[in-house]
Formats: sequence, C-alpha cells, structure tokens
Amino acid sequence: MTQNLESHIVLPAWRSRMLYGLLILSLIGLVGRAFYLQGIHKDFLQQKGSSRYSRVLEMGTQRGMITDRHGEPLAISTPVDSVKANPRKINATPEQLKKLADLIETNVPDIKKNLNSRQRDFVYLKRHVSPDVAKKIIQLAIPGISLVRDFRRYYPTGEQTSHMLGFTDLDDNGQEGIELALQKTLAGGVGSRRIIWDRRHRVIEGVGNVNEPTPGKNIALSIDSKIQYLAYRELKQAIEVNQAKAGGIVVLDTQTGEVLALVNLPTYNPNNRMRAKGGRARNRSVIDTFEPGSTLKPFTVAAALEARKVTPNMEFQTAPGTLTIGNRTIHDTHNYGRVTVEQVIQKSSNVGAAKIALLLSPQTQWETLSGSGFGASTGSKFPGEANGTLHPFKKWGQIEQATISYGYGISVSLLQLARAYTLFSSEGYLKSVSLLKIDAPVEGKQVISRDTALAVSKMLEMVVGREGTAQLAQINGYRVAGKTATTHKTEGRGYSKNRYTATFVGYAPASNPRLIVAVMLDEPSAGQHFGGQVAAPIFSRVMGRALEILNIPHDTPIKNMSLLPITLNPKGDV
Amino acid sequence: MIYQTNIDNRKVLPDFDQTLIWSVILLLSLGLVMVYSASIATELGGGTNDHTTYFLVRHSIYLVIGLLVGFIAFQIPIRLWQKCSPYLFLFGVILLVLVLIPGIGREINGSKRWLSLLVINLQPSELMKLFVVIYAADYTVRKAAYLDSFRKGFFPMLIVILLVGALLLKEPDLGAFVIIISIVMAVLFLGGISLKLFLGLIGLLFISLLALIVFEPYRYDRMVGFMNPWTDPYGKGYQLSHSLMAFGRGEWFGVGLGGSVEKLLYLPEAHTDFLLAVIAEELGFLGVIIVIMLFGWLVTRAFLIGRQAFIQKHCFGALVAQGIGVWFGVQAFINMGVNMGILPTKGITLPLMSFGGSSIVTNCLALAILLRVDWDSRQLQKGYTT
Repeated sequence: MTQNLESHIVLPAWRSRMLYGLLILSLIGLVGRAFYLQGIHKDFLQQKGSSRYSRVLEMGTQRGMITDRHGEPLAISTPVDSVKANPRKINATPEQLKKLADLIETNVPDIKKNLNSRQRDFVYLKRHVSPDVAKKIIQLAIPGISLVRDFRRYYPTGEQTSHMLGFTDLDDNGQEGIELALQKTLAGGVGSRRIIWDRRHRVIEGVGNVNEPTPGKNIALSIDSKIQYLAYRELKQAIEVNQAKAGGIVVLDTQTGEVLALVNLPTYNPNNRMRAKGGRARNRSVIDTFEPGSTLKPFTVAAALEARKVTPNMEFQTAPGTLTIGNRTIHDTHNYGRVTVEQVIQKSSNVGAAKIALLLSPQTQWETLSGSGFGASTGSKFPGEANGTLHPFKKWGQIEQATISYGYGISVSLLQLARAYTLFSSEGYLKSVSLLKIDAPVEGKQVISRDTALAVSKMLEMVVGREGTAQLAQINGYRVAGKTATTHKTEGRGYSKNRYTATFVGYAPASNPRLIVAVMLDEPSAGQHFGGQVAAPIFSRVMGRALEILNIPHDTPIKNMSLLPITLNPKGDV
Repeated sequence: MIYQTNIDNRKVLPDFDQTLIWSVILLLSLGLVMVYSASIATELGGGTNDHTTYFLVRHSIYLVIGLLVGFIAFQIPIRLWQKCSPYLFLFGVILLVLVLIPGIGREINGSKRWLSLLVINLQPSELMKLFVVIYAADYTVRKAAYLDSFRKGFFPMLIVILLVGALLLKEPDLGAFVIIISIVMAVLFLGGISLKLFLGLIGLLFISLLALIVFEPYRYDRMVGFMNPWTDPYGKGYQLSHSLMAFGRGEWFGVGLGGSVEKLLYLPEAHTDFLLAVIAEELGFLGVIIVIMLFGWLVTRAFLIGRQAFIQKHCFGALVAQGIGVWFGVQAFINMGVNMGILPTKGITLPLMSFGGSSIVTNCLALAILLRVDWDSRQLQKGYTT
C-alpha cells in the first residue's frame, strides 16, 4: 500500500546533488579555515596561548657557606619549612584553626586577619618553622594550607662572629657584614625555567626550557676561628673586669694583611636577632672611629726620621712638662726633662712628640699619616667601613700639627690603626686589609724606608721593655713591640675629664713579626683606665696564645713566669 | 545470470556498505580515544584516584549501548519505522514537554535539557533529531501530491515545526533547534516541495534576519561578536580563544596524543563540544582533515544510499537516508565551525565523537537505519524482495 503511495512521487536528482554539493563545500571551507588557523595564523595563536599558560619560574638555590680560613663553617643555609596559605582555598574548622594557631604561636583572629587582609593566592602564615611543627601542621590536613621549602641561615659560632658575618633576611639575602658585601657571590645566580602550568597553576613537568641556577659559592674568610674565639673570650672577660662600655680586638697577619680575628663587644646572637638592636649590631672596630691618642706618636717620629729632621738619639727638652702654642697648652703627665726621641715613644711624651712634629712641614706630616692609611679605606670592603678623619694639611696650624702628633684631632677605626702598624712590622710596607683568605704573600706599598721602620720598631720594643709604659704587654718567649694610648673621650665641645678609651697596638715576634693585635676598651671604669694597665694585658694574652696556636717559634728564651720581674711603671702613661 | 556469464570479473555485492561502516568505526574509536585524552585532567570524578578514567568508562558504556541499540534497530524493517513515525514524533514531543516540567527535567548550566532516568540522563532533543528525520520523510511521502500547495502541503508541517522549535527554545537548546530546522527544510526540499514555497521561506528567513540587524543592532553585535574573541578573551571570548589557541598550537601534525595543554582545565567542554580543538592540538591539521574527510565520506554515502533507495522506489528510505546525511553533515559542520570560530558558540556536539550518552546512542540508531536502507537496496539489487 505504501508502495502505491510512493510510486507517484519523484525526488529530483538535481536537488539532492545541490544539497550534497553545499554540504561538501562547507566541509571544504572548514579545511581552509583549519589550514589558516594551524598553518598561517599559528604564531599569533601560540603567543596568545603562551601568555595564558606559560610562565618563567625562578629557581632558588642554596646560599653559599661562609667558612673560616681552615674551612670551619661560620654560616650555613639549612632547609626549613615555611607555612603558607591560599586564602581563597582555605577551609578549616574552628578547631583546626585553633590547633594551627597554637602550632605557629599566634592566635586565631590574627590568622583570620592575615587571610582576609589580601586578595591573593598566597600568604605566609609563618616563616621558618621547626621540622617538628611542620610535621604537625601537615597532619592537620587543612585544605589550602601547605609548606614551602625555604632556607634559613645558621651561624654555628653565634655571637663571636656576628659582627663580621652580618646576617640575612627571611629570604636569605644579606643585610649586613660579609653576608651583604658578598651577597652576589654567596647567593649565586637564580635560575629560571620556562614552564607550562594548568589552570590551577600546577606545573606540568617536562615542558619548557631550564636555565639551571648557579649555586652560591662558598667563601673562606681570613678569620681563624680559634684565634677569633680566643679574642672573643679575652675581650669578654676584660670588659667585665674593667666594667668597660664596649671594646674591640683586631688580629692581623702582618705578612698578608688578613684579618685573623675581629671581635667587638657588646654583640648579639645572629641565630636569634631579637636583641640585635642599636649598638649591639655595630661592628665598632670597622665602622666606628675614635681619637687614637699616643698610638699615633710612632708615625710622627717616623715622619721626622724619614725627613732626616731627627735621629733616634736626638734629645729634646720636655721640661717643665708643658708646651704653650698660641693660646693652647700641651701637657705631659709628668715632667720627663731632657729625653731622646726613643724615650719620647717609650715614655709617651706629648710635649716631645709635639716638638718633633713642629720640625716638620704640615705636608710632610700629613703625607706620612695619609700614606699609613689614615683617612682612607683599609681595603676590607666591609659595608659601612669608616674612613676616619684626617683633615687636609692646608687647614693645619701649629696647634693642629702638635695635637695630631700625639693623636688628637684625627679619628681612626681600630682596624685602620692595626693596619697602619704593618708599616713598622713589615719594614716600611703598608698592607691592604683582607677579610677573605689569601694564599699568596702580599706585596704592599712602601711608605717609609726600611731603616726608619726598624728604628721605630726598636722604640716600640722599648715601650714594652723595662722602662716603658706597657710592660704588661710582655709575652714570655717572644719579643713584643707596641704602643699604648689612653685618650680622653670628647664630650660636648671639649674633652671629658674622666671618660677614656684605653688602647694598645702591638706586634710580635718583634724579630720577625707575624701578628698585629690591636685592643681598644671604651670607658673602662673599674678604677684603672690606662692603656698600659687595661689594654696591654689583653694584648699579651691574646697575642701569646695566638702565637702558640700558629706555632710561631720563640725569639727570646722562656723565663719562669713566676720569677719574671714585672714592675709597673709608677709614672703611668698618657 | 551475471555470475555465469562473467565469472572472472564478478563483483559480489556485499550486504553492507563497507566503507561507511569503516568510517563510522574510525570516527567512534577516534572519538573514544580523544574523549579519554581530553577528559584526563578533569576534576569531575570528585577527588577519587580513578577520576582520569571517569569519562572513558562512561563513554565506553555508551558506545556499547549504542552498538547494541544499532544492532537491534538494523533488524527493524524500514516500513515499520515509517508506520510508527507519527507516534515516534509524538513520543519525542512528549519527552520535550517533560523536560520543561520542574522536578522531572534536570537543569544543568541553566539549560533544562535532560531527563533523569535512574542511571543515565536522557537528552530528548537528541532523540528528536532522529524522529524529525523519520517524521519529515514520512510526511513528505504522504503529502507528495500537495507539495505545491501552501495550505495542504506546507502549512501543517510549519505548525508542527514551530511547536517543536518553541519547545527547544524554551529549554533553551538553540543548537538542536538549528539542526532540526535544517533537517525539515532539507527533507522538504529533497522531497520536491515547490521551489516557490522554498525560496519564499528562505527569503522570509533572510528578511527577518535583516530586520533583526536593523532594529536591534545589539543582537547583531552579539551574533558576530564571536568573530573576534580577543576583544574579551577572559570573558565572552574565553572558550573560543582557548579553542583557537589549541588549533594554533597543533600546527601540521599536532603536539602528540596526550600533549594538549588546553585540555588542562583551560578549555571548557574539551571532551564534549570542543573535542575537535583537542584533536587539532594533539593531532594537528592532519587529524582535523581526517575527521572532516570521514564526515564528508559519511555524508557522501548517505546521499548515495538515498539515491539508490530512490532508484529502488523506496522514497521514504531515500529521504530518511539523505535526511540523516544532512543531519550529520550540518551538525558536524556547525560543531567544527564553532571550534574554529566561524560560527557563534552553541551547545552542539560532534556526532559520533563527543562525549554524551544520548548523542552517541541516537547517532548509532540513525546509522543503523541508514545501513538498513542500504541493506534493503542491496537485497533488491540481488533480486531478493524485502
């Protein structure tokens, strides 16, 4: 029956051909479009795509280790975990939040505030948590809270080396000291890798280029941690005994200019910087300056010897112990009468030093001081290093010449002062200071002649000798050369009557000097304040022990300590 | 007979259209692989470890059901389809009404397109595409004498289609609406409707489109806005811009199977409407051409089968076959056109390939009927009667 119905209809062939043709043409059109998208327009599309899902991620690297000269670690970066949160994803019960707050030592409102404060995918809840705490936080299994791997700087030697090393911030970037000075070397090159991530910002591994990070380099300091510890221990004890406000010790290798030890007090624990406030954080020996006082006299004498204005045995009249220049009067503590140039150093006569200086032109005097490194950087490259003050000689009158001859009207850092003494310990050469380990000997720059250097060196030995101001600086078995200073601190416009700095700078063994030790105590106030009484004994202990540590041969017979006749020079020292 | 006279050159006519079957098998398998690949990063599985196979497993089940349904449908004589066509159509309309009833229809993403049937969600609009093909073919054959008359031949169909169209637009399912209108128009056209009527209809559509542009320019803007997704790449142009990036990334030979980045949650609906974008990215221009060619061949075979059926005086079968060809061709074209940014984004799946139970099963059903039409013709050619 249907057959009948169908029999009289005709399906025109051209219609089906036309429709078919249209469909096929449409499909061919699609081929053309695909060809355009995938063959021609692809660069634009790929670039658009990259901007959506391709990123360059930084690859952090472990910060280099700082060691002492023997490879003992002084600063190490250790991996730690930090707690991060994604505020948009976080989903915690009040109970979980309470537990979390307890673990990271805060309270729930603070956490909530932190999470609501920023519309971001990432906030730190707590940096650098202990492994134990990290484990417990993970066990809480709060969605949106996770750990990130960080590095924390650890300083095994703690407060002994804190001023030298400085410290890093939470992101392990150097903020002070060596950490700051050598930031680039220590941090290394941050690497990068081009990654593709999915829409949830999960990295798809194995896609994109990798630019490996260059690991931070390890750095060997010139510090010898044994000597550093020794200096720290002695300084600490001395500061307690003398009730000093502050103090510093610098130990230099005379042959290389390397700093073997550098300590200051007060100090702080770099592993817990809660108390690294104000003065505690200051590396006083490098960034603070003071008036050097009598420790400068050898440079005055060296300038006069060099200019052939005096000889070591030339006599000067220092009586009556005062010298008036214009409206200013210079005092000695005692009336020394007629003294030789040697004795001016040995007894530390201000009048004698001034008279010697006045034989010189200001320029000659200035050149020697400038050549000795005063008023300029030591080359240590320590951040914030003080250059000290050495005024231009054109501004000097006679009174300036006279006061500078015995170390007033000029300011130096303890490191500068110690370094200047390389002139006398290494036959007239000035060495640059290095905080980094140096393997080869250092040439240095000749500032005074060998003869002058040896002559002054002999005078400096006399200071420590029988008639000298610093007999307490003697070391059994070693010849010692050095100079004391006791300086009135400035107060307002003038000088304080009862606040002093006590200094001793010296080197040993005098026959073939190896070490320079400079000691400075700020405001010793336990009764004694003379450099010869306060600073010289510290020098003696640090130098003596350091020479033993370094196995330096004795250059004088060892005496029985108990029989060693030490007589305090009753006249004291200025 | 032929066998005895020319034994050496004899061509035994196979019972089935081999190339059609192979191209369908290829499309189905490629679809399965690509649905798996496109859905591998999806998070729909809900936190379980086997969520990567969530869509693979379901798509496989749909395929099995589809093949099973197809096998059964192949056994049904074409005449039975024709007899049942008004009832099938009515059934489809009822389903479309049910979808719109709150509590019965299921709403996903703001569209009420699904009916919850215990385990699977049925999408009646997919079934309706098949029912419309059958109904329109039967209608055309029945009204063959009146096809020149507007009142008797064209008007009844217009009313019926407006009803179905209204139901689809209510869901809304604009994609299915467009497909169904295309099928009806094509079947009427192929069935010999008066050219005057047909061209008048086309003209009417054109004029109403023009009026839309003139009186409501913003609609026009929205319609052509898809042309440049880069003006709002994070808003309206988001999906299309990522689809185009996938094409660009694929270049000639693709980034390799599984290597798509766009499927990593960037491209929404990667395993359904935008499956071609993933194919383009992973298999490149080559993969896209193969898919287009397979659909082209499917359309070609459908039209040839229809032509053959007509020669055998099976006008209903002929119209069904060509209607199915138009359906698959138009739907594939629109889906791919949307993926490539030459047509506005509509919820239309890629036939035989995209994920979706109703779509896959209906497609298999339609192809089974197409093969049955072909089988009938071949039987007649061999001298059997059906």
